[in-house]
Amino acid sequence: MNCRICSKLLQEYLENTISEELINDLNRHLQDCERCRIFFKTYSLTITLSRKVETPCCVSPEKIEHLTSLLYERLFSK
Amino acid sequence: MSEPIDKLSVPALVAEIKHGDTVAMGEIVKRYSNKVYNLAFHLTRDASAAEEIMQEVFLTVISKIHTLTNEAYFATWLYRVTTNAAYGFLRKEKKFAEQTSVDDMNHEQSVTYDWSTLPDDVLLSEESRAMLRDSIDTLPDTMRTVVIMKDVEGLKNEDIAQALGLSVPAVKSRLHRGRLILREILSDYFRKYSDPSGEGK
Repeated sequence: MNCRICSKLLQEYLENTISEELINDLNRHLQDCERCRIFFKTYSLTITLSRKVETPCCVSPEKIEHLTSLLYERLFSK
Repeated sequence: MSEPIDKLSVPALVAEIKHGDTVAMGEIVKRYSNKVYNLAFHLTRDASAAEEIMQEVFLTVISKIHTLTNEAYFATWLYRVTTNAAYGFLRKEKKFAEQTSVDDMNHEQSVTYDWSTLPDDVLLSEESRAMLRDSIDTLPDTMRTVVIMKDVEGLKNEDIAQALGLSVPAVKSRLHRGRLILREILSDYFRKYSDPSGEGK
């Protein structure tokens, strides 16, 4: 395992789609390579922080009702 | 229908709408309006555009619901119509940035600073979240959409691929490149906390 392979496998590792053997190889490499270890931690944290990006405010029940009425008028009432 | 409306699966609701059931339509709107609005808002950064897009998207999918041959694909179809509507808005607004090639980007060239050890109040501060949100906006469009759908909205790779008409490997590749750019930006941003003098870089 070298740094380039390690970086290529990172995404699959996080999605849990690589074999146990490769996971063990990757973990061994991460133990020995500080650069990849930091890369791995900051890459994972980038994903975590993206999940915390503010989600816009919910659509209000009034707006949902308005939309439903509009759909009904335009598409169902003949 | 024997089951309560809020317990029905999406394919069952879609089947009911095809038979003209407006209650099922209301339930679909209730379940998906936030998702459609959020995706449209993240892509356009414009609240009133997101609202218009939401309306346009539901008008489109409900009026064409008979063309959906496999009800299980309703959500991915909805996301596809939403992204197309958002792209249409951006084109009109001329916000459609030229794509930046990042094919030769290589994380091994980047300086390594371990900002993952910073405390949560720094990592999750209002300022850092706003900075990350703005950074996502600056990603080349193909990456931005995938990053928003996967990392912000939490959709599956397969659903994103379906919605955007891409292969799963293409989704993964765009996602990875987008994350690499964001990681670089975050590394630069958090570097000011690495200076023991507290004076930043």
